[in-house]
Amino acid sequence: MAEVAYVNASRIFSGNPPVRAVDQLQLDVADGEFLVLVGPSGSGKSTALRMLAGLEDVDEGAIEIGGKDVTNVPPKGRDIAMVFQSYALYPHMTVAENMGFALKLRGVAKAQIKEQVAEAAKMLDLTKYLDRKPKALSGGQRQRVAMGRAIVREPSVFLMDEPLSNLDAKLRVETRANIAALQQRLGTTTIYVTHDQVEAMTMGHRVAVLKDGLLQQCDTPRALYDHPANAFVAGFIGSPAMNLKTVPLTAEGAKLDGIVVPLSRAALDKASGESLGEVTFGIRPEALALVSSEEQGMNMTVELVEELGADALVHGAVKIGEGTERFVVRVDGRTPPTLGQQVKVAVRDTTEIHLFHPESGDRLEA
Amino acid sequence: MRRFLDRHWYAYAMVLPVVVVIAVLVLYPLAQGVYFTFTNINEANIANPVLDRAASYVGVGFRNYLKVLSGDSSYGAFWSTLLRTLVWTFGCVFCHYTVGLGLAMLLNRQVRGRALYRVLLIVPWAVPAFISAFAWKYMFNAQFGIVNQVLRAVGLPGPVWLGQSDLALLAVVIVNVWLGVPFMMVALLGGLQSIPADLYEAAEMDGATPWQRFRHVTLPGLRSVSSTVVLLGIIWTFNMFPVIYLVTGQNPNTRILVTYAFERFFAGASRDYAIACTYGVLILSVLLVFATVYRRALRKQGEVW
Amino acid sequence: MTVDAAALRVAAQAARTRVAGRRGRRSRLSSVGLHAALVLAALIAVFPVFWVLVTSFKPDSRAVEATPKLVDHSSLDNYADVLSGAKGDFLAWFGNSVLIALLTTVIAVFLSATTGYAVSRFRFPGLRPLMLSFLVMQMFPFAVLIVPLYNILIAIGLQGTSIGLVLVYCTTAVPFCTYMLKGYFDTIPSDIDEAGRMDGLSPFGVFWRLVLPLSTPGLAVTAFYSFLTAWGEVAFASAFLSASDQSKTLAVGLQVFVQQNRTEWGHLAAASILVAIPAVLVFYLVQRFLVTGLASGSVKG
Repeated sequence: MAEVAYVNASRIFSGNPPVRAVDQLQLDVADGEFLVLVGPSGSGKSTALRMLAGLEDVDEGAIEIGGKDVTNVPPKGRDIAMVFQSYALYPHMTVAENMGFALKLRGVAKAQIKEQVAEAAKMLDLTKYLDRKPKALSGGQRQRVAMGRAIVREPSVFLMDEPLSNLDAKLRVETRANIAALQQRLGTTTIYVTHDQVEAMTMGHRVAVLKDGLLQQCDTPRALYDHPANAFVAGFIGSPAMNLKTVPLTAEGAKLDGIVVPLSRAALDKASGESLGEVTFGIRPEALALVSSEEQGMNMTVELVEELGADALVHGAVKIGEGTERFVVRVDGRTPPTLGQQVKVAVRDTTEIHLFHPESGDRLEA
Repeated sequence: MRRFLDRHWYAYAMVLPVVVVIAVLVLYPLAQGVYFTFTNINEANIANPVLDRAASYVGVGFRNYLKVLSGDSSYGAFWSTLLRTLVWTFGCVFCHYTVGLGLAMLLNRQVRGRALYRVLLIVPWAVPAFISAFAWKYMFNAQFGIVNQVLRAVGLPGPVWLGQSDLALLAVVIVNVWLGVPFMMVALLGGLQSIPADLYEAAEMDGATPWQRFRHVTLPGLRSVSSTVVLLGIIWTFNMFPVIYLVTGQNPNTRILVTYAFERFFAGASRDYAIACTYGVLILSVLLVFATVYRRALRKQGEVW
Repeated sequence: MTVDAAALRVAAQAARTRVAGRRGRRSRLSSVGLHAALVLAALIAVFPVFWVLVTSFKPDSRAVEATPKLVDHSSLDNYADVLSGAKGDFLAWFGNSVLIALLTTVIAVFLSATTGYAVSRFRFPGLRPLMLSFLVMQMFPFAVLIVPLYNILIAIGLQGTSIGLVLVYCTTAVPFCTYMLKGYFDTIPSDIDEAGRMDGLSPFGVFWRLVLPLSTPGLAVTAFYSFLTAWGEVAFASAFLSASDQSKTLAVGLQVFVQQNRTEWGHLAAASILVAIPAVLVFYLVQRFLVTGLASGSVKG
């Protein structure tokens, strides 16, 4: 059990120019917390995790585990365990040997290793497979062995690097829940890397969003969803992605296809303070609704309807300024519009509107 | 500096033994060998601890190189020997590669008894070279050799294979091809097995004929293996001395650069170390030039090696 | 719910049957042609060895018959003569050769494994020059450097010893073996190394306990190659071992034997067979690893 801290930690890959894969990362993870690092590929999330593991050098700043500076401590001195994307099971060892290897290296007595392995195997439903080699296991079983190898050691921190990305969709959802439950039960500080924002939202106590090596925002899933700190986070978190459009600004609000969507006073003041003629206007598909033709709203031509069962996603073109922009609206699954139909779209609730600076992307309100 | 060592000391610790051995047993002798090429060192003037005789060889500048490069036949007729070496090298490697590839493709098929065929086909590699040389020398013997026996049986004349004619060169090429095919075959077989089967299936879907599949899937898939083994094959064959030396002895018709270096080194009353080393340096130069050109050509085709 | 391994096996079985069915469509004619070509090639590959074997049982006089027969007064006499030492201290040579070849194998495999691992996993300054020097080393006919080598071996006190000769052999075997093993190590995912580091191994521990056990095919080929390098070598062995008959290797002894008994083809054949046996034995032990081991090595080059 331990808390983890990145203290302005950077990893710089040599090259011309040098690449700052992780740039001045400042992040505190509480004891027992499940923190998810999420971001697109190349965002530095895996590098950040590997710095914590001791597999990657820390070029600037420091890493602390349990209050101790471990920046220059080799992996084995950090009391951490890691689950790899490829699982990295030792092909020449049985499941039991794989799981007990770290204990064996530490000189733990054989009987105790056996006991601990058996216990972990029971927890992960692997008891039947202890004598098999990894080659003879299915993908899901291998994944569980990789988990087992980590938990047998009872480390103070778990690191997981996209541990579910090699599973099929159904198994992934199931294992997602299992890992979250296991972490809850063990109460071990866990840092989890993924590129899948659904995983991030469903598993993490807090989620840290990275882009180009820079931490964009770190908060609870709810807060990330409701108050994204910038346009990148707004677009990255949530599926389907938030509608983000640059729209002209008037004294009352944002101008979309003839209608003016009223905006909060605070936001308008901030925009006028910076004398912005435009803002990046964000609204989630579920905050939009189809309305009858008499009501006020934007005219949209339906270009694509994705039926998801319970609901449907309607993609369509809306005139904004001179050109057209694509919007996605989440509607009831039983009565979707048809292709080519003209529909009216209105904002359900103006409090669900997000405004961002058109250049910096920063959020335009308190 | 500390950081540098911190980061790399594992690597250096692991290569250190090899580097030490190479430095002592390769670099130093090589440097001394190069130095010898500028002297007239031979058996008669070298330091001899047994006879308690001090070294008395002297520097002769570039004279050894001039003698050799003049093409004088008393110094091994360098240019015609080089030509023969090239014929020998490319002849052997061409046969190694084509026969090896052919056999590898046969073995890469689903065929009954594949494991047995494979073992039998690799046998020439497993037999020590001097024994193979002995076997072939025996088989090529003009009077009681089985080769001529077979030729006569089908009504052909049985020539003197290992005599003073170009037949001897043909004979050693045959022996060396026999020796070298297994290595190529095994390497190419591994290369073939690493070509994903779905590439062939995709080509089949696109309507490629077997020849087109060979041309556009197999050969490109083997490129990196081929470029490596061909280069190695050329270097090894260029310097292949036991086969020629053991099968035909000092026969001017089978003389290549490296066997001449050995003749100078081992044979005759005055072992001419200086000329032998000069030949060694020239061989190295030829191969270095070749390897550089080869690498350029590969790089031009987009292969980083 | 998890996919059961048994179910997976069934699926794999089905896939195999399907492939086999497809392959089964090869026509009878092409199948015969395929086997004919392989049989012919195998005959050519094996025949010289077989012929030496046949000859080894014949008396010297019968070995040079103008119309050779398979069996011609054949007996084990040649072998008895050779083994009894009538033609030189064969058993002593044999012992020397085994010792030297095994030592070379062990040391060369060890050296090329550590080096191969370092160049496969670490990016350290000096990596490229090292690899290039391995290539260049194969371009020089080192036997012409016997004189300087001799001087060095005297200087470090190894002249006339087996270990000196073994080290010289290592310099010939290690460059190619390193290339080969580097290629093999490259195929082992570095995740395995990192998992080992996380489990508490040092970089040397990772090499010793994870990478080596996973590299059997590569190591087998390396062993085979270095064994053969040492087993059949003549020039260095005759220069660096002391001149006494007792300390010769087989290759050297046999060479002397050949020069002294040019006409004793039967005895020569018997001795050759005896020399070939250990090499073929080693070959047989490693042959099933040969393709995988060499393949990944040369694919990556």
